[in-house]
Formats: sequence, C-alpha cells, structure tokens
Amino acid sequence: MDAFTHIGLTHYLVISAMLFAFGLFAVVTRKNAIVILMGVELMLNAANINFLAFSKYNGGMEGVMFSLFVIVLAAAEAAIALAIVINIYKTFNTVDVSSIDSMKE
Amino acid sequence: MHSFIQLSILVLLLPLLSFVLLIFFNRRLPRGGDFIGVGLLGATFSIAAYMFWQVVVVAYDPAFRLAWDFTWIDFGNVPGVGPLEIKMGIMIDNLTVIMLAMVTLISFLVHLYSTGYMHGETYYGRFFAYLGIFTFSMLGIVLSDNLFSIYIFWELVGLSSYLLIGFYFHKDSAADAQKKAFLTNRIGDIGMWLGILILYSQFHTFGYEEIFEHIRVGEFHMSQAWLTAAGILLFMGCVGKSAQFPLHVWLPDAMEGPTPVSALIHAATMVAAGVYFVGRIFPILTPDALMVIAFVGAVTAFMAATIAITQHDIKRVLAYSTVSQLGYMVLGLGVGAYSAGLFHLLTHAFFKACLFLGSGAIIHAMHHEQDMRWMGGLWKKMPWTFATFTIATLALAGLPLSSGFMSKDAILAGALGYAEVEGGGLFYLIPVLGFFSAMLTAFYMGRQVWLVFFGQSRTHLKPADPHHHDDHAHDGHHEVHEVAWNMRLPLVILATLSVFAVYSPDPLDGAKGWFMHLVQTPQTAVTAAVAPGAPEEEQDVHHEPANHAETAPLHAEVSGLLAEAEVHTDALHMSDAEHHAVDTGADHAQHDVHGEHGADDAHHGPTFDDPRQAAIAHAAHANHDNAITYSSIMVASGITLALIVYVFGFINPEKTAQRIRPLYLYSFNKWYWDEIYNATVIKGSLLLARILSWFDSNIIDGIVNGVGALVRRIGRMSGNIDRYIVDGAVNFTAFFVQSSGAILKKVQTGKVQTYVAMVLLAVTAYVIYYILQLQP
Repeated sequence: MDAFTHIGLTHYLVISAMLFAFGLFAVVTRKNAIVILMGVELMLNAANINFLAFSKYNGGMEGVMFSLFVIVLAAAEAAIALAIVINIYKTFNTVDVSSIDSMKE
Repeated sequence: MHSFIQLSILVLLLPLLSFVLLIFFNRRLPRGGDFIGVGLLGATFSIAAYMFWQVVVVAYDPAFRLAWDFTWIDFGNVPGVGPLEIKMGIMIDNLTVIMLAMVTLISFLVHLYSTGYMHGETYYGRFFAYLGIFTFSMLGIVLSDNLFSIYIFWELVGLSSYLLIGFYFHKDSAADAQKKAFLTNRIGDIGMWLGILILYSQFHTFGYEEIFEHIRVGEFHMSQAWLTAAGILLFMGCVGKSAQFPLHVWLPDAMEGPTPVSALIHAATMVAAGVYFVGRIFPILTPDALMVIAFVGAVTAFMAATIAITQHDIKRVLAYSTVSQLGYMVLGLGVGAYSAGLFHLLTHAFFKACLFLGSGAIIHAMHHEQDMRWMGGLWKKMPWTFATFTIATLALAGLPLSSGFMSKDAILAGALGYAEVEGGGLFYLIPVLGFFSAMLTAFYMGRQVWLVFFGQSRTHLKPADPHHHDDHAHDGHHEVHEVAWNMRLPLVILATLSVFAVYSPDPLDGAKGWFMHLVQTPQTAVTAAVAPGAPEEEQDVHHEPANHAETAPLHAEVSGLLAEAEVHTDALHMSDAEHHAVDTGADHAQHDVHGEHGADDAHHGPTFDDPRQAAIAHAAHANHDNAITYSSIMVASGITLALIVYVFGFINPEKTAQRIRPLYLYSFNKWYWDEIYNATVIKGSLLLARILSWFDSNIIDGIVNGVGALVRRIGRMSGNIDRYIVDGAVNFTAFFVQSSGAILKKVQTGKVQTYVAMVLLAVTAYVIYYILQLQP
C-alpha cells in the first residue's frame, strides 16, 4: 500500500484538485462577493500547490518562483477585488452578486 | 497692297458699319439715325466715284485688273482631301469698279429717298440698318474673287432681302412674301452650291482665275458633261436670285416690301447679283450651258412681258418688267453677248431704279394707292415725277436716244448672231422672243404711263373697301402733291443716267461707248478642253486614240496660230463620217471671220482664240443694223398699239379682254405659275411632309415606344428580382440575426456566476472531449 505509506506527487495533486474544486464551488454557488473572493483565493492556492508539487518532483526552482509570483498576484488581486466589492456595495447597497445583474443590458 | 484695294475694303465695310450702328442704336439716335445711313452711304459712294473716275475716266484700260487675297481658313492637310485652305480676296477690274459705283450710287439715292418715303414709319431706323446690310452684301458679291466668298455674300443678300421684303411683317402677305422669296432663292442656291462643289472637287480651289486657268490648260479630268452640269448648276443660283423662269415667282410678291426696297432689289442689289455672277463665271460656261442660259433668258423675257401687260398694280407691272429685262440680260450672256448683257444690267439699274422710285413717289402722293385703275391725270400735279418717269420709261421701252436702246439692241444683235452661227432653226426662237418682248415692253409701259399720268383722275371710281377703316380712304378725294426734294433729287439723277450720252457718243451704237470698251467679253476657258459643239466631243470619245493625240497639239496651236489651226480643224472635221450640221454652220462662220478679220479688228474689241466665240462675236457685229431696224419697228409698233388702245381709244381694252378672255386670264393670272407650284411643289412637299409625319408618328414613335415598353418590362422584372430575391435575402438575414439574437440574449444574464458556470461547463466539456480523443 504504497499510496498510504509514502506521500507522492499524486497526493499533492489530489489535494490541489480538491482545493480547486472547493474554490470553484464557492465561486459558483456562494452569493456573497466576499466568499466568492475567498473561493478565488482557494483556487489560486490550489494552483500554488500544483506548482510546488511539480517543482519538487521535477527538481527545478521554476515552480517555487511561480508560486511566489502567484502569492504576490493574489495579494494584489485581493486588494483590487476588495476595492471593487466596496464600490459595489456603495453603488448597489449589497454584496449579493445574484442581485447585481446590470451587466445584462 | 494697292490703294484701290484698301479703298474697296472701305467701300465694302462702310455700309456694314452703318448697319451695325443703326441696328443697335437707332432708338437712341435723333431721327432714328437716318443721317448715319445716308451719310455713310454718301461717303461710300464718294469713294466708289473716285475709283470710277480713276479707272474709267483716267486709266481707260480694258485690261485693268487688281487682285489681292489672304488665307482665311487653313485646315492643314486634311486626310482624304489633301491640303485644304480657303482664301478670301478682292478682285477689281473695270466691271467691278462700274458695279461698285452703280450699287453705291443707287443705294445712296435709295437711302436719301427713304428719308422722305419712310418718314413716320414705326421701325424707321431699323429700315436704314437693313438697307445698310443689303448694300454690304451686294458689294461683297461684286468684290469677291472666289466662289466661296461670293456664296457667303450671296446668302447674306438672301437674308437681307428676307428682312426687307418682310419689313411690314405684321401684314400676312408681307410675311408670306418674304418666306417665299427666301425659300425660292434657297432652291437656286442649292444648285449653285453643288456647282461650286463640282468645280472644287476637280481643282481644289475656289478662285475664279485659278479655275479658269485650270480649265484653260485642260486639267478638267471628268467628262465635258460635268463642266456643262457645273455651269448650269451655278446658273441655278442666278435663276433664283435674278428671278429667271422657273424660279421667278418670288419677285412680284416681293413688292410687299416698301417701294425703296423694291428699287434697291430690282435695280442695284439682288437681281443684279445673279447676272453679275453669270458674268463672272462666263469663261467656264460650255456651249451647251450657254444654250440653256440663252433659252431660259428668252423664255423669261417673253413670259414676264406677257404677264406685265395685264397687271393692275403699278409696282407689279414694274416687277414683271424687271423679270423680263433680267431675261434679256441672261439671254445676252447666254448668246455670248457678254458686254451687252452687263451693259444692260447697268443701264437697266438706273432706269428701273428711277421707275421704282417714281412709282414710290406716286404711291406716296396717292396715300398708298397702288392700283393703276384708280390713278390718272397726275402729270399736272406731279410734273417732276412725270418727267423723270417718262424718260425712264422710254429707256425701258428701248426708244432711240435712250440708254436702254443701246444695251437692248446690243443684246438682240448678239442673239441674232448666235442664231445665225448655231445654224438657225429653233435657235431663231431666241431673238424672235427677244423682239416680241421688246414690243410688249413698249406696249405695257405705254399703258402704264397713260393710266397713271394722263386722262382724268379716277380716284373716285374706286369701290369702297369695307375692310379698310382708315378715315381718308372713304372720302376718295386726296390732295395730290409733288413729293419733297429728297425724293425728287434721286429721280432726276437717275433719269439723267438713262440718257444715251452718258454711255456712248453714238445714240445708235453702244459699242462705241466706254462701257463696251472697258468690259469686253472674256476668252472662254473651255476652248482648249473641247472643240466647238458637244456632238463633236461625243464623236471624239468614239474615235481611236490617235485622233486624240492629233487634237491635243492642235489646241496648243489654236492660241497662237489661229489660221493654221483652222485648217487642221477643218481637215479633222472632214475626216469625220458623221459631220454635224451645227459644226458646218460654225465652220462657215469661221471662214467668214477670216475673210474680214483685219478690217474688223480695229473697233471690234478683242480677237477670240476660240473660233466659235469669234464667229458669234462677228455675226453679232454684222447683225447690229438688223437688230436696230427690227427692234425699232417692234418698239414703234408696241407704242403705236398702246396709243391706239389707250390714247385714241380705237380699241376698247375691256372689250378686247373679254373677247380673248382665256388669253387674258392666262396673262392676268401670271401663266398660273403660282397655281402650278401650289398644285405640284407645295402640295407635293405637303404630301411628303404628311407621309413623313405619319412615318414619324407611327414607325419611329412605334419603335421608340416599343423600346420604351420593353425597357419598362425589363425594369419591372428587375424590380421584382430586387424586391423579392435581393430584398428577401437581406430581410431573411436580418430576420435570422434578430431571432437568433432574441434567443441568445437569454444566455446573457448579467450574473457573473452564470458566466463562470458556463466557463466551467465549457472547460469540462472540452476536457471530456480531450479525454475521449485520447482513446484509440
């Protein structure tokens, strides 16, 4: 039962996929914009795990570098996204994305 | 450039200046600007008189000739034609100078006279403008040195005659008369133009002298018949302008114009143009063409004279007498009596202008009464008019001591000589018609003078005209006075010029006068191209080439060694199996010439290179005394007849007219020419017009309408294609886009999560697809 005794690449990838799926689920189903942002963070971190896992098993440093970039990017993204959310709230007086559909027109 | 050329250009342009000034400014000038017209014409006449003095009195040289020309239009090298340039130029010889003096004098006198006659007319100033352009056109004809420019001025004369004849254009009769004159002239002009084109196609030049020279050296490559045709076609122009049979019908109707215009048309400008033109082209006329011209002239002279004896209108009698006298001139040219014909042109111009101006004075004094039946007894009231009118009448009738006697006699002598040379028979018809016309002329002029001036006044006999609402027309008693000085002076001058002494010291022989000395018959140009008589030409064609070869050097000799050439000609003739009667006659005459050649030359003008021309000239001279005798007898009998009928009353004219009613009506209705033309030419052209109109409205319009309908149908079809197929496609596209848009817009909810779900769906679908792809 090598799969249980030895932690390999597959484990990382599974974790990453699960994390990504949770994030995606949150993004698609949640109504609160803040929660959606959290879902997005989950998905980014799932990607980070992928990068690090492949980096570890491939033996290069590129994955690490990429994940560092992603973390920086996530921080920037969170800042901008939160600013957008605040503006949405100011405009619509709510952060419920299901009720914000003025892009339809 | 010789100073005479400059002077003649001045003479030509001054009347044009008068026209230009008057046509634009006559309303702004005092007296309608008549002083400009009279003054400029006076100046013109002074210049022409100076030239006349220098040429005729001082130089007195039969060979006087000046020419000047310039290239008017240069077309360069026209493909298919060769170098094409049209020249304009001036040629002055004795005839030109005499004509210039005559035209300007009469035009000046007519201008002067019109200041009295036309006084108070509505378009007074315009009248003088028209007179100016008429004079200008005629002077252009006189001065032209080529066929092209003469044709231009020829048409200008046609135009200005149109303007003047229709001067009272508000009257229908005048408007009709002007149209008739113009159209009738056009018929002749077409012929003239064709003649010009025939000559141009051969020689590539319009100049008279060049054409004569080309023909003289035998460069005419077409058959002789073409030259005859060209001559007759050119003569058609004269038939139109100079009112020869059968195009004479316009001239009597032209009496609708004011009387001074009639004087100008009949004496100086228009009708003289035709005769002058025939004189200018005289050297190219072949014997056949001359024969046609002579017969046309003779018929015209006789016909018009017979018509004149029954007309009532004073101007119409004069009009027909003009036609008759023009017939004489043309007859004279036709029979080869060139200088006699042109001499008659000159003398006739003066006495006929005098007669017309005199009749104008009578009409003026009678308050526009033109019917001789209601005149009479005027000689006491209008002594000046009476005296001048009578002198001119004597000249017209051709009584001895008058100018008309000399010129008419010269023509008739020429006609007798011609008939003799041509071998008698039918050719004697020409002088016989001439003599009869002389008698008739004397008769109708005697009748006119008697009806107008003698007897009792018959004004009151005139039946009242119900349509005439003029007040003084009804009272019937006008005060008739002699006309004012400005109308009398022209009459006196013109009457003076109708006396023999002006032209010749010998009242019986015009040949001794200056005119016949200065204007001599030109050498015919066709002599080298063809031996006398057309039949011979035809024989030549049938002969073997050797005969031609013999003929050519013969003609070269003709110019120098007439006598030797004669012998050759005779030898040639004898060798001909079919010897023509006409030739025999000509030969006899030629022998006569040789018998008396030396004796005659002294006072007999030029010797002719052409044996035929020489023979005619000789015979004409020989018949001089006969002509005097016969014409005197004829004139005397004509006058006697007039005296018997109208003065002594032995024969009652009305009863005689009743007795020979058909003849009377034939003459009174002018030989029914108007009716004949009405029935043939006018009806014919109307019929043709109607046929063409039918053709136009049915066939042409049918085609046009058919094409129109076809196009409309095609248009409707194309419209349908457009409407249903093209528009359908467009509309369907729009409809499709619209409806698919309506469906697809539902996808766009505006909710971010929906989009994410869709992306997820799409990615999932792609992944599934990808995985499925991986399977073998």
